[in-house]
Amino acid sequence: MSRYMPDGWALPAIDNKNRDFFTSGKIVVQACKDCDTVQHPPEDICHVCQGSALESRFCSGEGTVYSHIVVEHPIPGSLKDRVPYAVILVSLTDHPQIRILGNPVNIEARDVAVGQKVRAVFESLEDKEAGLELKIPQWEVIQT
Amino acid sequence: MQGKAAVVGIGETTYYKRGESPKTEFQLASEAIGKAVEDAGLELKDIDGVTSYMESRNDPGRLSAALGMKNVAFAAQPWGGGGNGVAASVALADAAISAGYAKNVVVFRALAQGQFGRFGQSKPRTHAYGNSAYSAVYGFLSPAHVCAMQTTRFMHEYGVTQDSLAEIALAASAHAQLNPRALRYGKPLSRQQYHDSRWIAKPFHLYDCCPENDGATAIVVTTRERARDLKQKPVPILAAAQGLGKRDGALIFNEPAFPTSFNREVGQQIWERAGIQPKDVQVAQFYENFTGPVLMAITEMGFCKPEEINEFVANGNIQGPGGKLPINTSGGNLAECYIHGFELINEAVRQVRGQSTCQVPDVEHSLVVSGPGFSPGSAVLFSSD
Ligand SMILES: [Zn+2]
Repeated sequence: MSRYMPDGWALPAIDNKNRDFFTSGKIVVQACKDCDTVQHPPEDICHVCQGSALESRFCSGEGTVYSHIVVEHPIPGSLKDRVPYAVILVSLTDHPQIRILGNPVNIEARDVAVGQKVRAVFESLEDKEAGLELKIPQWEVIQT
Repeated sequence: MQGKAAVVGIGETTYYKRGESPKTEFQLASEAIGKAVEDAGLELKDIDGVTSYMESRNDPGRLSAALGMKNVAFAAQPWGGGGNGVAASVALADAAISAGYAKNVVVFRALAQGQFGRFGQSKPRTHAYGNSAYSAVYGFLSPAHVCAMQTTRFMHEYGVTQDSLAEIALAASAHAQLNPRALRYGKPLSRQQYHDSRWIAKPFHLYDCCPENDGATAIVVTTRERARDLKQKPVPILAAAQGLGKRDGALIFNEPAFPTSFNREVGQQIWERAGIQPKDVQVAQFYENFTGPVLMAITEMGFCKPEEINEFVANGNIQGPGGKLPINTSGGNLAECYIHGFELINEAVRQVRGQSTCQVPDVEHSLVVSGPGFSPGSAVLFSSD
C-alpha cells in the first residue's frame, strides 16, 4: 500500500528497541519475561518488576480509536498539500491499556471518531539509506 | 516551610509580537530583572540567586557578570523544557529562600523569537529518532497535536463542548481589553469570530492556540522578614507544588490517567500544604498553551468535577472582576503576551497587591497553574498575609 504521509516524509530510525515494531509486519508490544507485564513504547526495564529481560510480543492487530486529531494547519509547510490528515490513538483489543499512534488509511480525516474499530495494516517502505525493509503499522477503520 | 518567602518586586518589558523586539533576549532579560529589583527597592548587587525554567539561554553566569551582582549563592532550573516549569521555578526560589541558601532570588523568563527562532516545532528530516519515531513518522509533531489528542478524549469522556474551549479564549480576550500592556488590547474577540476561525489541529481553532511573542518578565523573592523593610506590600508564597502521579511519565499517551493535564498530584499537594481549599481562591492564572488543557487543569486542581466543567466556565463565571473564579485576568498567554507563562506570575502578584487592570475584590489567595498537558505539572499559591 502507498504511504499515508507523503513520499519522502520522515522514516523511523531503526534501533534495537523499535526494530520489531517497524519491521515485523505485526503489532508488537514489549513484554517482560519475568512477570508478563506488557508496555509501549519499549523501555529498558519492566515498569512492574524492573527486570531487564524483555521481548517482543505479537498482538492480534485489532483495536479501537481512543482519541484522534485532524491536522489542518501544516507543520512544516511542506505538508500543505497533505492536510487535512488524521492521527489516531489506538487502544489495543488484546491490551486495552496500551495505546499506539497511527494514521487511519481508509477514511476521510474528518470522519474519524472515538470508538471506531480498527485493524492494523502495514505500509511497506524501503529505507535505502539504512538498507532496511520497513513495515510501518497503520490502521483501517473496519466498523464506524 | 510554607509562607517563609514572599515576592517583593515584579517587572516586565514592553511586550512585542514575535520577532518584533528591537532588543536582544539578553537585553530583555536584564531590563525585566532591573525593573523587578527597582520595584522591590533593592539594588542589583543585592541579588544573589537566579532561577528560571525551559532551559533558559540567559544563564546565571552571564547575567551575574553583566548585572553587577556581587555573588551568586543559588542558581537552578526545574527539569523539563516546557511551560510546565513556570511555578516550579518560583518553587525553587521559595525553597532557596526558606532554606537560607540565598537572600534575594530573581526568577525570570525572557524570549526573543526573532533572534532565536521558533520553539516547540519539530521538523523531522529524513529520520525520526528514539521515541519520536512512534509519533513524527505519522505526522504527529507539535505541542498543539499533543494537547489536541488529550482534549479530544477529554471532550468525549465528559461531554465537553467546543463552546467551553471558546470560554477560555473569550475570557483572555475580555481581560486584555482592560490591560494596555496586552498585545490584544483594543482587539476584542467575539464568540462568532472564535468559531469562524480556521482549524489548526481539530479540536483547536486558531484562537485556541497561544501566539508566539517577545519580551521578558521577572520577580524578586526574599524572606518575609526582610520584605518588611522594602518598598512594596510583600506577597507571600503560601505553597508551591510540582508533581507526577503514578506512571504519569509514561510516553506517547500510555499514562494510565490519560487524558490528564498532569495536575492531579499538584492539586492534592498544594491544598494540603496551604491548608486551604479551591473554594478559598479568589483569582487564578492558568497557563494557556491551548484552551482544552486549561479545562482539564481546572478540574484536576479541584475547582470542579470534569462533568461540571461546561457550567463552570459558562455565563461569565471565569471572567473578572466579578465572576465566580476569574482566570487569566491580564489576558494571559492568549491575549496579554506569551512569555512562556511567566507574565501570569506577575499578574497573580498584582492581584494580591491590588494593582491588576482587572482587579478582583478582596483577594486572599491567588493561584498560578503552569503549562498543562506536559509532565511534571506545577503550581504556586500566593496569599495576602
Ligand atoms: Zn516485569
